[in-house]
Amino acid sequence: MYTELHARSAFSFLAGASLPEELASVCAEREMDAMAVLDRDGMYGAPRFYMAARKSNVRALIGAEVTSEEGWRYPLLVESRKGYQNICRLITSMKLRAKKGEGQISRAELVAHLENDGGGLICLTGGDEGPLAHALASGGMEAAMSSVQQLCELFGRRNVYVELQRHYCRDEEVCNQCALEIARKVNLPVLATNGVCHALPEQRELLDVFSCVRHHRTLATAGRLLARNAERHLKSGAEMQKLFADLPEAIANTQVLASRLQFALNDLGYQFPIYPVPDGRSQMQFLRDRTHDGMLARYGADNERARKQIAHELDVIEKLDLAGYFLIVWDIIRFCGQQNILVQGRGSAANSAVCYALGITAVDPVGMELLFERFLSEERGEWPDIDLDLPSGNQRERAIQYVYERYGKLGAAMTANVITYRGRSAAREIGKAFAFDPEVLNRLTSLVGAWEYKDANDTLERQFQDAGLDLQHPQIRKFCELCLRFQDLPRHLGQHSGGMVVCQGQLDSVVPLEPATMPGRVVVQWDKDDCADMGIVKVDLLGLGMMAVLEDSLKIIRDDYGEEVDLSRLPANDEQVYKTLQKADTVGMFQIESRAQMSCLPRLHPVCFYDIVVQVAIIRPGPIVGQMVNPYLKRRQGREPVTCLHPSLEPVLARTLGVPLFQEQLLRMAMMAAGFSGGEAEELRRAFGFKRSERRMKDVELKLRRGMDKNGINGETQETIIRSITSFALYGFPESHAASFALIAYASAYLKCHYLAAFTAAMLNNQPMGFYQPPSLVTDAQRHGLRVRPIDITCSNWLCTLEKIDEKFAVRLGLRYVKGLRAEIGAEIVREREARPFSSVDDLKRRIPRIQKGELAVLAEVGALNRLGNQRGFHRRSALWQVERTARSAGPLYEFCDDVEKNDVEEIMSTGGAKKSGEENYDLGGSPLAQMSAEERLVADYRGTGMTVGPHPMAYHRAELQKMGIRSAAELAGLPDGMQVRIAGGVIARQRPGTAKGFVFLSMEDETGIANAIISPQLFEECHVVVVHQQFLMIEGQLQNQDNVVSVKSQRIRPLIITSAPTTSHDFH
Amino acid sequence: MSFAAIHIPDFIVQAVVRGEVALRERAVAIVEGTPPLWSVVAANRRAAQVGIELGMAKSQAAQFTGVEIRHRSPTQEKTTHEALLDLGWSVSPRAEDSAPDTIVLDLAGLSGLFGTEEKIAHELAKRGFVLGLSARIAVAENIEVAILAARGLPGVTLIPPGEEAERLRALPVHTLLPAPEILETLTRWGVETYGRLAALPVIQLSERLGQEGVRLHTLARGALVRSLALAKPSDNFQEEMELDDSVEELESLSFVLGRLLDQLCERLAARSLSARSIRMEFELERSFEKGLQLSAHADQHKLLPRKFEKILALPVPMRDSKLLLKLARLRLQSDPPPAAVLKIALSAEADRVRTTQHGLFLPASPEPEKLELTMARLANLVGDANVGSPQLMDTHRPDAIRMERFRLAQEAVGGRRKKLIALREKPVGKNSSAARMAKPANGFRLLRPSAPARVELRDGLPTRVFFHGVRGEIVAASGPWRTSGEWWQDPWDQAEWDVEVRFSSSAQKNKRSSNSPSNPSLNPGSERGLYLIYYDLRQQGWFLRGMYD
Repeated sequence: MYTELHARSAFSFLAGASLPEELASVCAEREMDAMAVLDRDGMYGAPRFYMAARKSNVRALIGAEVTSEEGWRYPLLVESRKGYQNICRLITSMKLRAKKGEGQISRAELVAHLENDGGGLICLTGGDEGPLAHALASGGMEAAMSSVQQLCELFGRRNVYVELQRHYCRDEEVCNQCALEIARKVNLPVLATNGVCHALPEQRELLDVFSCVRHHRTLATAGRLLARNAERHLKSGAEMQKLFADLPEAIANTQVLASRLQFALNDLGYQFPIYPVPDGRSQMQFLRDRTHDGMLARYGADNERARKQIAHELDVIEKLDLAGYFLIVWDIIRFCGQQNILVQGRGSAANSAVCYALGITAVDPVGMELLFERFLSEERGEWPDIDLDLPSGNQRERAIQYVYERYGKLGAAMTANVITYRGRSAAREIGKAFAFDPEVLNRLTSLVGAWEYKDANDTLERQFQDAGLDLQHPQIRKFCELCLRFQDLPRHLGQHSGGMVVCQGQLDSVVPLEPATMPGRVVVQWDKDDCADMGIVKVDLLGLGMMAVLEDSLKIIRDDYGEEVDLSRLPANDEQVYKTLQKADTVGMFQIESRAQMSCLPRLHPVCFYDIVVQVAIIRPGPIVGQMVNPYLKRRQGREPVTCLHPSLEPVLARTLGVPLFQEQLLRMAMMAAGFSGGEAEELRRAFGFKRSERRMKDVELKLRRGMDKNGINGETQETIIRSITSFALYGFPESHAASFALIAYASAYLKCHYLAAFTAAMLNNQPMGFYQPPSLVTDAQRHGLRVRPIDITCSNWLCTLEKIDEKFAVRLGLRYVKGLRAEIGAEIVREREARPFSSVDDLKRRIPRIQKGELAVLAEVGALNRLGNQRGFHRRSALWQVERTARSAGPLYEFCDDVEKNDVEEIMSTGGAKKSGEENYDLGGSPLAQMSAEERLVADYRGTGMTVGPHPMAYHRAELQKMGIRSAAELAGLPDGMQVRIAGGVIARQRPGTAKGFVFLSMEDETGIANAIISPQLFEECHVVVVHQQFLMIEGQLQNQDNVVSVKSQRIRPLIITSAPTTSHDFH
Repeated sequence: MSFAAIHIPDFIVQAVVRGEVALRERAVAIVEGTPPLWSVVAANRRAAQVGIELGMAKSQAAQFTGVEIRHRSPTQEKTTHEALLDLGWSVSPRAEDSAPDTIVLDLAGLSGLFGTEEKIAHELAKRGFVLGLSARIAVAENIEVAILAARGLPGVTLIPPGEEAERLRALPVHTLLPAPEILETLTRWGVETYGRLAALPVIQLSERLGQEGVRLHTLARGALVRSLALAKPSDNFQEEMELDDSVEELESLSFVLGRLLDQLCERLAARSLSARSIRMEFELERSFEKGLQLSAHADQHKLLPRKFEKILALPVPMRDSKLLLKLARLRLQSDPPPAAVLKIALSAEADRVRTTQHGLFLPASPEPEKLELTMARLANLVGDANVGSPQLMDTHRPDAIRMERFRLAQEAVGGRRKKLIALREKPVGKNSSAARMAKPANGFRLLRPSAPARVELRDGLPTRVFFHGVRGEIVAASGPWRTSGEWWQDPWDQAEWDVEVRFSSSAQKNKRSSNSPSNPSLNPGSERGLYLIYYDLRQQGWFLRGMYD
């Protein structure tokens, strides 16, 4: 029998071509009971290999190929936990002192880590990249012998195996013969391996392309960097025995060595940090005390239900020994509170009354009857998952740095994010290897995956054909085939946006750490799923743009309005908020601003907080695909009777009118109808979750059916329940999560309704975020009566600020919206201006010499320099005229001499702008240039700031549009359903959602509001170019005006020439 | 003194339309780029009207119905430009080649021949139309005014002296062809016409746009005066002849070739130049059968060889027409045109005359003409691809070489040869095992192409081999050594064996007596030999690659 002890997975990043799961499954097919994966300089693929191997009843042996300073790679196999810890530390040490993606181990480091006994590691002499082959090539037999002896000294004689690989290659066999001679002389065991780089022979093609990517070559120029043949696949025992028929001991030794490697990844030795508790109390007692305090504050002393729920939860927490975990999360929350950082727990944590009491979450799970088991259960034996939303940007970074400080550099790290090849990146890399022209590549990659929805014809093949690639050509066909095979293969390691793992003591002995691109950040080699699989606790510190908006809004309100708003004490049922929501006037509001949400809001007609929770959850693929949206809305409007799938489910479904909308409801349905326990129900959710497996789903479904049979639920009802559960589980929102988001949605709505200026400024200062682009946010705010002032160098700060005009607040746009203006120049402008106002363009340039001509020109073009003219009639073009001269150095002699122009200006002023001989009229701005027309100003505004604070481009043409019979967006609501209408506007969003069967949704804006148009797949096919490329459209069609939801079913689409301003839209979600 | 500027608007489109008259009234977009990224680089007015924009992808442009899409043709542009010059020279010997799409003629003294300036202008327009050019013509006393007017105003324009600024006033500034950054500044200023630019105060303009601004200002006022830069005759010498009847025999072709070469060489000699290369282009007659195929498979139209081209790359510049004719004949003997010839075009790439002696004390180099003649004769015998210096290629593919052009050592750049020699003579380290391992144990005689063989196997091992009519027992075998690759275009997959073969004595006798034409070096008559055989997995057959010495 043979065991493969030297294989690389695709997690060797460009040096292996198969996923760990593929290796494990092929290993099982080849009837090998164990296999070792040695990824390059890391344990990247180890957890996935371990998990996959466990399922296939294969023993996963772990190791790594570690790069030496001399250029060879030590193939190291882990024998024991000590060995595992050593190799993790070794890799961490070499990685942390090198740049990202690099690192080499020195002999001294090896000596230091391995002590005298090999440190629980077995070293092989390696294949063509190993120390033996390296020594042979550079110094012949003598060097090779010396190299092997050095390995024996380092790792101990009993821990070194002379490795033999046979890939039907003459040179390799020469090395093998030398290795055999050395093994005989030194009396070391020989070991056969196949130096596996891919599971199946045909994957050699992927490996060749990877080699090209790694060496920046093309397939045509890579030459001998490519594989010599396709023999580095996972071979069966019989094949290997035949290959090594002359050396049976080399095969037999694989079994001997495999039996020595007793380490498995479930034996990591990971420990969660112990929270330092004062007064010698236990962690649990301390948690009970903190929770009790919180309970009194949140629920008061006489809420029996809450007391009972909290007591139950605390018992479970104690049983699972998770007190430390809760305390650590509580500690982060406390830190944020002290530092005035807005924070809120989301996800399943909101199901826990303990989390609510500790201030981790803001949703009352007792009041909302949320299911605790969705968060934590005794049966699952998993760490709970707590996600904390923080304001994106600096505030979140402060929280992350706090965790680093608290647990030390080797005690905390970010989780990794494995960047895998997707359609676009695969096409790009493979195209490069095929030596396609860079422009071709750009064209190709821009075509791949532009739309979410793929209709029957929208295959990768068709995309290639559209790009002019002939799929009959064998090379193009191969390219296309490889693009498909590249999907999901890892490319490199990134950093997860907020996942942090912490450890009691040395995290680097649990998993190797490496530096992230961002300075000061350390990343573990596993992603968050791997960490969860390996039982490592993670806390997600996620950045949420809206949290930053809320925080900034509160600050602006405090500074400008002089009021203090406490988000936790907002009026619960603010009438204005609900009126606004009912009208779907929600641009800028968290989670309820999209076109789909807007089309649902008037029908749902929210009147209380729970309605917002439903609103947040209902526009999700789960309810849409499960066809639950319409039944719910109809029932809510009283157009359909409220019935329940089964009488036993009434308590579960009653508050959502008999329609399951939340994940918790599905779990409770399983509990009520099929008698599942809380843990079993959660298992069900996971079975149908993101990493779904057919077998697991079938098992659970069978269990569900059995349970329901037992409870007497069968026939059509049973089928309906099964269908709701299966179609819904993956894409549904948990109620707790929806409730957390609904709180933020309510807060954003409240601030928008009552503090529009502050909210708008905060929104504009945190772009990009949300569904709408800044111009639409500005237009919407203007429609609500807010005055937005243009950028002005004499008063604009870098960020948008508030100004008071006639006792009303207006937003002054910030310099950050000047395209091309560097932030440091913006800061310098503000600093200099505070010292002394600028007197002219020349003064500005003199005091900020680093400002470039392009920056000055854009400032002038958008009118930001208009107030520097010091004279009547100084306009944008006057400033541009000045800028052009200022930007050209006049030389030291004339630097401060503006006399020529000043004299000119004086002359003009004295003659009242009279005609100068042979030249056109000077205007009074001191430049011979004509003032910009309205259209020119519009173009300049959009070009320089991406928006205008003046009238909407459509407003200039309203009279003509009316003559053409075009209705404004605001008019539509008053027109009858079914009427033939003509609408027009600037496209602000184009969507083709995956759930809409190829329909395209357009949001078109004019000065009165936003109109929605629906385009059928057929019409889209006909007008593809116009719909995709034209920014202003005129659409004719039938008005659909039902339940205050207004849209136009398009029949005819025409481009509309309104302006040449470069307006933008948010496309293809 | 007056000047006439002739401008071809939409030059890129017109260059293509000129060869396809049917397109004159259609919307035409010209695309350029590397497949599949073709983007629109030019479009006529009709195409622009239906929505075609420059920079648009070909696939996008194709979605507009009624738009004809053609690929850009530099050759057609070149010939159109030459036609434009011809148009000018047909009227005036003093012509300026201002731009690919514009020329200027000095009209001084032409009135006697053609009449008034207006008549000359209309005559030019008429002649242009005959040549397939739709030209804009402007006559003015000032060269630049004439050019700008032709560029900006349609039809024929005559600008009387003193009216220049007024007539140019409304033209858009981009027709002044300013640098992109200046055009951007002017656009920002809202200066869109010559009139607006001319109205700006020139001193202040110079403070902002420098001397280039002043130049543009002067241009816009129609006040820039300069003299005509007469067009120089081209360095590309071309002679072509269309034959009344198609010619098939090489002898008859040689006669025509000789005449053309004589003319070419005369022209070269007059300017003290020689030819670095001669391009021979033959337009071929299309056979009746092929014509039928064409109608059936319109797509193949482009694939059929309507033109046949040969390039005589000369090792040194030369202009001996007799020698060139010999070389041309040899080249055509080894690879004659596949069909009868209708038209011959010869073009010479001109170069300075060869230096035969590089220094006073250096002997004259051997005559490269003779070497080239010898190489051509060899190529005639063994084929073009089999002459030159073989170079090893960086690939695992066994036997992969490419032939590089053989060059005399003197041709190498000075000093490089020494360096090569130095590299070759560099002593190899005694202990360098890399060198030791890389060094082959034996010499190896390679069969090219490999000879088919028959091999008998037992338990997967070769036991007997048959090749070149002899049979041998395999007494020892090492292998298989497998290589495969180039799966993306021209895949190979082979398993090699090094075998020791013992030939039977009868086979040897038969071999000696049979006078077989097989390669004697592979069967030296000894009883044993070391051979390399391989099994080609794609061809499913055994081959003999060669023999170890």
